[in-house]
Amino acid sequence: MVETEEPRAAVSTAAEPLSDHDLMLAVRDGELDALGVLFERHHGQLFGFLVKLTGQRPAAEDITQTVFQRMLKYRHTYRDDGSFTAWMYHLARRCAADHFRKSSTSPVATDPQDLTERSDDRPHAGDHAAARDEHALLHLALNRLDRDDREILLLSRFQELSFAEIASILECSVGAAKVRAHRALKELRDIFLSLQRTGRN
Amino acid sequence: MNCTEIQDRFAELLDGRLADGDTAAARAHLASCPQCQREYASLAQTLSALDRLPAPSPSPRLRASFYAMLEEEKNSAASIRAAVERRQRASRLALWRWILAPVGALALALAAFYTGARYGAATTPAPAPVVASTDDDTKREIAELRAQVDKMGQAFVASLVQQQSTNERLHAVLTKIDQRNPDQRDLAALVGALALDPSVNVRLSALDALYPHADRELVRNGVLASLPREQNPLVQVAMIDFLVAARERNATPELQKLANNQAIDAAVRDAAKRGLAQL
Repeated sequence: MVETEEPRAAVSTAAEPLSDHDLMLAVRDGELDALGVLFERHHGQLFGFLVKLTGQRPAAEDITQTVFQRMLKYRHTYRDDGSFTAWMYHLARRCAADHFRKSSTSPVATDPQDLTERSDDRPHAGDHAAARDEHALLHLALNRLDRDDREILLLSRFQELSFAEIASILECSVGAAKVRAHRALKELRDIFLSLQRTGRN
Repeated sequence: MNCTEIQDRFAELLDGRLADGDTAAARAHLASCPQCQREYASLAQTLSALDRLPAPSPSPRLRASFYAMLEEEKNSAASIRAAVERRQRASRLALWRWILAPVGALALALAAFYTGARYGAATTPAPAPVVASTDDDTKREIAELRAQVDKMGQAFVASLVQQQSTNERLHAVLTKIDQRNPDQRDLAALVGALALDPSVNVRLSALDALYPHADRELVRNGVLASLPREQNPLVQVAMIDFLVAARERNATPELQKLANNQAIDAAVRDAAKRGLAQL
């Protein structure tokens, strides 16, 4: 039946690459292949966000898949004046909350080495080992952070999201989002420095 | 700004999201306050470490699962119905474009005639009124056209199917779309393709090619004659939409049959019911 669909002129032959928003509107109107373009553009960053949020790679992969599944399922709810990235992280947040509810536990502190690229097989292994240690400590610090704090901190690091969008994702005011982001950063700093001091001692 | 106000803005300052004026004020304060400098440096160090965290890549399983899910959704009943509705919308637009163009031209011609009759120096004889055909004449003409369509279309399609691949037949149909004034033989060939070609794509393309000529009785009768043989819901709905948009009242009995047929696809039944309401 697929062969009977109209040509994907809007998706594939435009001279200028379509914006995320235009692609999602096309998906909403039934051009489902446009979601493939959005997947290729965003799944890597979304997965990275979810790995840091959950501390678990398999869970992050499952949640990434679920986010795109919900984009398809709820495509009719995407608004003309919407922001695709904000909508994607809104869905991601909901999916992650479902995951945490199902597992009924806070993120499992997996071995941080599993979460980072293995870089110490190359030359300058000493430098890489130091960096790896820093990454491991930071992963530990992130895992010890309250989940809401971790969430807003990671969202605020995506430069393409404005605080207004972050506030809409978290369903709070812009002022509250800024205060929470600042508080989360200070909390992470305190845990990170504490872990560094413990490591040195 | 005092220390508390500055520190409240550190997150935005570190992100580069602080307004220019506030940034300058914060920098000026930092230059003169060792306590805020220490606080700022430790937060900057933490953020920098956070940004340096390597981004892990997902396994190939994620991409495979995503595309499998997408394919499944594309083949779902809801998506097929949406494709039908999309095609209907596009067809309606195309039809109105081609119907309104001659209507506009006729309106202009009438306006010109009226102006000429009122203000022209010479008195021109009024054109002979167009006399509507009698019912018997119309019926005879339709019967003749149907026979002609059947004969020419079947011969054309039979030769195409025998000699050409689907792509070649599709190309043959598509080349006719651009013809502004196709002759009767071209139109009969398109109707024949619509009625008999084994490929859904070719049949739908033939219907698209016929849209600009929906004002011709030969075309409307050809589509109407093809509808009972059609088995594919997509093509059936597209044909119904064509006949309704062309206001083909002779389609009513066939639409009634489809509307009452419980064995066919629900989308076709619904289209037939909607069509009956509009005719």
